[in-house]
Amino acid sequence: MDVIVCVKKVPDTAEADVSVDAGGREINKERLTFAINEWDNYAVEEAIRLKEEDEGTVTVVTVGGKDKEDILRRSLAMGADKAIRVDMEDPEDSFVLANVLCTLIKDQKFDLVFFGAQSGDFNSGVTGAMVARMLGISHAAMVNGVEVLDGSIKASRELEGGLNEIYEIKLPALFTIQTGINEPRYVSISGIRKARKKPLDVMTPEDVGVTEVKPMLSLEKMYLPPPGKIAEIIGGSPEEAAAKLASLLKEKGAF
Amino acid sequence: MMEVEEGNFDEAYDVYACMQCGKCTGSCAVSLRSDLNIRELMRIAILNKNEDLEKHEEIWDCTSCGICTVRCPRDLKPAEVIIGMRSSLVEGGTIPVTVRDALESVGTNNNPWGRPKSKRAEWLEDLDVKVKNISEGEEAEYLLYIGCTASYDPRIQSVSRAAINVLTKLGVDFGILGEEEPCCGSEPRMMGETGLFEMLVEDNLTLFDEFGISKIITLSPHAYNTFVNDYPECAKRLKEDDVEIPDIELEVKHYTQFLEELIDDGRLDGEMMNEFSGTVIYHDPCYLGKRNNIFEPPRKILNIIPGARCIEFDRREDRSLCCEGGGGRMWAEGTGTGERNAIIRVNDANQDGANVIAVACPFCLSTLEDAHVTAGYEETMRVMDIFEILDEVLK
Ligand code: SF4
Ligand code: SF4
Repeated sequence: MDVIVCVKKVPDTAEADVSVDAGGREINKERLTFAINEWDNYAVEEAIRLKEEDEGTVTVVTVGGKDKEDILRRSLAMGADKAIRVDMEDPEDSFVLANVLCTLIKDQKFDLVFFGAQSGDFNSGVTGAMVARMLGISHAAMVNGVEVLDGSIKASRELEGGLNEIYEIKLPALFTIQTGINEPRYVSISGIRKARKKPLDVMTPEDVGVTEVKPMLSLEKMYLPPPGKIAEIIGGSPEEAAAKLASLLKEKGAF
Repeated sequence: MMEVEEGNFDEAYDVYACMQCGKCTGSCAVSLRSDLNIRELMRIAILNKNEDLEKHEEIWDCTSCGICTVRCPRDLKPAEVIIGMRSSLVEGGTIPVTVRDALESVGTNNNPWGRPKSKRAEWLEDLDVKVKNISEGEEAEYLLYIGCTASYDPRIQSVSRAAINVLTKLGVDFGILGEEEPCCGSEPRMMGETGLFEMLVEDNLTLFDEFGISKIITLSPHAYNTFVNDYPECAKRLKEDDVEIPDIELEVKHYTQFLEELIDDGRLDGEMMNEFSGTVIYHDPCYLGKRNNIFEPPRKILNIIPGARCIEFDRREDRSLCCEGGGGRMWAEGTGTGERNAIIRVNDANQDGANVIAVACPFCLSTLEDAHVTAGYEETMRVMDIFEILDEVLK
């Protein structure tokens, strides 16, 4: 099974203080740390597991500047065979990105393409589906289990309300991978060092043959949601805050 | 310490000299309550049967207290053999998820707690005194190295603030590195992430050199131990591999050693303190005691505090009962069942009549604090770092 995994580097915003820059269309990035998108990490792990179970190759792909290469090196250290970076500015929207990826992928040899189900920055969750459509291949989103059959593949999908559905899908196919499908392995620093010898190709959009497309979305303005009127932030020490919360709950008739 | 490829445990740790006497297991801090049997692991190393290490989940139970190494009659380093085994598991990628996340966090956030680097200095916010920040170009004789746990853990942050208050009152010329402070690497090393440790040694020595730092006071015995014992050895090895490392000699002290010197110089004495009321029992941390033979300084400090009645545990100094907080155990629950050492310890303290357990290590504070609540001593006993006691009594 030859698998291509598309990965993205995203900021870790779980706990960081996020603020919008002066231009009003970007977040301030200086004090943020960046790493491989969590969903993509599961996708890379799943691809490597398929390769380890059977045989085949794993190629990881990203679009962006040189600073994005560390997530490719890391994926190579995990067990991917080859990496490709399309050297260009971050695409304006998912459609432009999907166009670049589709142009690149269609000339590669592959049975499966994996994406993370969404990315931790904008969480749109559309790039994978767009690429599948552009490539004209079947796809399944939010895949939380795969099983290789002869010439096809079984994919289970997570649905709302705790339901799962299972499809048998003809290859080639594209899946967007949900977290929890596996437990990604640890990648050690010396593993990353050793993986430096593995091939990492850098291609320009011209090398890839990307034709320009217009973005479908344009970002008008970015701002932090104004605090709601009924929301109240309770400050103070844990003891004070707990006491205040308890009296508030009592007051509002919660118990 | 070195990376162990399959089959070279002998070269790395001289394991053939092991006579399987079992003194290591007999003294092990956790063997009574976990499957960890260090003699058995030594045997696996001798027989080079290290291919099935994944099955030995108990490898992650070791607290790296070091007592097995102290007791081994053949001068072997069984505690290091465990690190070697962890190291081959780390290289294979199959390690407990919590350990994986802690190590990944050191790589991205520079701390194993999964907290953003930009919040490393948040503990300073509740502080009244102004502290020099060496990373912002302010000069100071000493770097006070806070460490990851005392930077992020809400309970332990109070020790960092106490340290600032005390050192300021004593007129010590010191500064901190604030948000720029790096992980010292001790826990990653104990978790077997050799490559990450080497990277931290290289980066940190370069950083210390850049800011002209040569004298360091640490809050944690773990940071002290790694700066004093692991850094020089690692730096030497890296230099042999042609890695560029600045030639700096670090003078590192655990804060209890530093305060002992102030006592000896007449700069700290009981006259400067208000009366403390309580019976204080001191818990020796493994990384000061067993690993570095530092027993006296903390006792000397406690002894000059007016009103403090100092008593001792039966198991003290190099026989002190490990609190199980080290060796990556903050991120690995362990396979052990039965009573935790920390619970045994607070029960012992209670029986001995103590109402304050004095500690000198962030991990001991964390484990014993938890245990004293769990064991129901919240109203009758306090677990305090020596810095916190001093902060309370200094006029
Ligand atoms: S104490 Fe030393 S010689 Fe004895 S079994 Fe343990 S490692 Fe071997
Ligand atoms: S270092 Fe401590 S916990 Fe680990 S094996 Fe040795 S005695 Fe046991």
